[in-house]
Amino acid sequence: MSVSVPVEAAATVAPIKAVYKHLDCLVTGIDGLKRAGFRDIHVMTPFPRHEVEELIYEGEPSPVRWFTLMGGLFGATMAFTMTALMSANWPMIMPGGKPLVSIPPFIIITFEGTILWASMFTFAALLLLCRLPARGLPKEVEDPRFSNDHFGIVVERVGAHNAAQIKSILAHSGAIEVTGGGEDAAHGAHHG
Amino acid sequence: MKGPTYSSVNRDVLAPLFTPNAAYMGALTAALAALAWGGYCWAQQLVHGLGVAGYRPPVFWGVYITTFVFWVGIGHAGTLISAVLFLTRSRWRTGIYRAAEAMTIFAVMTAALFPAIHVGRAWYAYFLFPYPNQRQLWVNFKSPLMWDVFAVSTYFTVSTVFFFIGLVPDMAAVRDSTRGYTQKLYAVMCLGWRGTDRQWRHYMAAYGFFAALATPLVLSVHSVVSWDFAMAQTPGWHSTIFPPYFVAGAIFSGCAMVITLMLPLTKIFKLEDYIHVWHFEHLAKLCLFTGGILTYAYGTEYFIAWYSDNIYEWGTFVDRVVGNYWWVFATMVFCNCLAPLPWYFKKVRTSYLWLFVISILINVGMWFERYNIIASSLSHSFDPAGWVYYVPTYIEWGIMLGSFGWFFTWFLLFVKIMPSVAIAEVKEMMRPPLKSDEEVAAK
Repeated sequence: MSVSVPVEAAATVAPIKAVYKHLDCLVTGIDGLKRAGFRDIHVMTPFPRHEVEELIYEGEPSPVRWFTLMGGLFGATMAFTMTALMSANWPMIMPGGKPLVSIPPFIIITFEGTILWASMFTFAALLLLCRLPARGLPKEVEDPRFSNDHFGIVVERVGAHNAAQIKSILAHSGAIEVTGGGEDAAHGAHHG
Repeated sequence: MKGPTYSSVNRDVLAPLFTPNAAYMGALTAALAALAWGGYCWAQQLVHGLGVAGYRPPVFWGVYITTFVFWVGIGHAGTLISAVLFLTRSRWRTGIYRAAEAMTIFAVMTAALFPAIHVGRAWYAYFLFPYPNQRQLWVNFKSPLMWDVFAVSTYFTVSTVFFFIGLVPDMAAVRDSTRGYTQKLYAVMCLGWRGTDRQWRHYMAAYGFFAALATPLVLSVHSVVSWDFAMAQTPGWHSTIFPPYFVAGAIFSGCAMVITLMLPLTKIFKLEDYIHVWHFEHLAKLCLFTGGILTYAYGTEYFIAWYSDNIYEWGTFVDRVVGNYWWVFATMVFCNCLAPLPWYFKKVRTSYLWLFVISILINVGMWFERYNIIASSLSHSFDPAGWVYYVPTYIEWGIMLGSFGWFFTWFLLFVKIMPSVAIAEVKEMMRPPLKSDEEVAAK
C-alpha cells in the first residue's frame, strides 16, 4: 500500500517470492525492502522470530490485548450479574442468615466467568486479526518449505517498473531462489 | 555432535503419524476392551439403578467421586507445563508440553463422565448446569458443587482452545507433508495457516494471554474441587488446608502421569532427540517438590486434628490409620510420601526404569489418597450408629477401569493423528541457520 508509484504506472505484475535458508539473510531482505519503501510484504517462517516482528511492526504491540481486556470485563460483569440476578429472582431464605447476594461465594463464579470470556475473546481476536481461516493470501505463500526449514518473503502488488529493483534487493540479500514479478519469472536469481 | 535440524524435526515428529504397527494396535485393543467393560458396567447401573454400587447410608460418595477427583488432578500437569512453564520461560517445557496438554484434555474429558455416572440418572445430568428458575429448581450459587461445574467446564474449554491454538502451526506442517484427502483434512484443521508475519505476531500475543489466563485456572480448579469437601462439615473434610493441599497433589499426580505416558511414547516413537532424560528429571524434581508439600500437608492435617481437641475430627483421623481403611492409608503414605524419595538421587531419577516404576506408584497413591479422604470420612462420621464399611462392587471397579480405557483410547488416537511434540516450538529453541555462521566456519 505504501509503494510510492504514480497511479497511472500502477500496472501490477505477479507477486515476487523469495526463499531463504538463513535467518540473517531473511532479515537483510526484509530490511532492504523496507528501506526501499516496499512494505506490502508477507514474511513466512516455520516458527515465530522476534527479529522479524520487530523489523516489520517496530515494536508496536498486537491489539489482541484489548480483546482480552474486554473479554475479561464482559465475563466478570456477566458472571456476577447472572449469579446475583438468578439468586434474587428466587428469593429463598437461607439458614444461617446468609444474604441472597453474598459476595464471597459469587466471586468464585465471577472469577471463572472472567477467565472463560477473556479466553474466548482472545481466541476470537486471534481468528479475526490473523484472518483465520486464512483467505486473501497470495498463492505464492503456499510453499511446504515454509513450515519446514525455509523462510520466505512474498511482495504483493508490485508495479511493473519496480519488479527488477525488488528482485535485485531480494537476490542480493542472499535468497536461494527469487521468482515471480513478470516475464522474466522463469529465471530465478541465484545467489550464495 | 550433530543435533537435530529443522527438517529432521519435521521428519522425526511426523514419522509416528498414521501408520499403526502391531504394538500400537495391541495397546488400542486393550484400551477399547477396558472401555467396553466399563460401558457394560455402566449399562448395568443404568438398567438396575445405583443399587448396583456399594453405597450404603451414609456413604453415597465412593469410587466415582474418587475417580472424578483423580482425573481432574491428572488434568493439572498439562496446563501447568504448557502455561506456567511458558510464562517462566522454562526451556524443558518444549519437548513435552504437547503430549502433556493432550493428556490434560483427555483427563478432564474422563473426569467429566463421572458426575453423570455418579448421579445415577445420567439423563438428568443437564440439571448440573445453571438451569432457569422457571424449572422450579433453585440454583444455589453458594454451593461448591455449583462452583465445580463452572470451574471444570471453564478449565476444559480454556485448555482445549489453548491446545488447539498450539496445534495450528504444527497441523500446517502435517498438511505440507501429506497428500490427497489427508492433506485437505489438515488444511481445514490448521485453518489455512501459513506462518506469515501477521499470523505469528497476533498468534504470539494471543498465546501469551492464554498462558496468563490458564495459570490462575490451574490453581483455581483443584481449589474448587477441594471445596466440594472442605465446605462440608464432615470430619476429615472441613479444613482450610484443602485448596493448597489439593493443588499440590494434583500437580504431583499429573507430573507422574506425564512421566508414565511420555516414557513409552519417547521410546516407541524414537523421540529421544527431543525428549531427553533431562525432561524427565525435571518432571521428577517437580514431583519431589509437590510431593514434599503433600507430605507436609498430611502432617499438618493430623496435627490440626489433634490440636483442635475435637473428638469427631480426631476420631476420624485415628480411624483412617487403624480402622477398616488402614490399608488405604498405608498405600497412600507409602506411594506418595516414601516412594518418590529415591528420586533425590540423580542415579534413580535418570533411570528410565525407576522413573517409570515410581511414577506408576505415585498414580496409585494419588487415587488412594482421594479414596482415603472420601470413603473413610463418610463411613466414620459423627454418629457411631451410622458407621459402616463401604466396599465398592465390581460395577464400580469396572467403571473405573473403563475410565482408563476411555482415557487411553483418546491418547492413543491423539499420538497417531496429531504431532505429539510441538514442532514450531522445538525449532524456536534451536539456533537458527545463519549465513554468518557458515562464513565463519569456512574461514
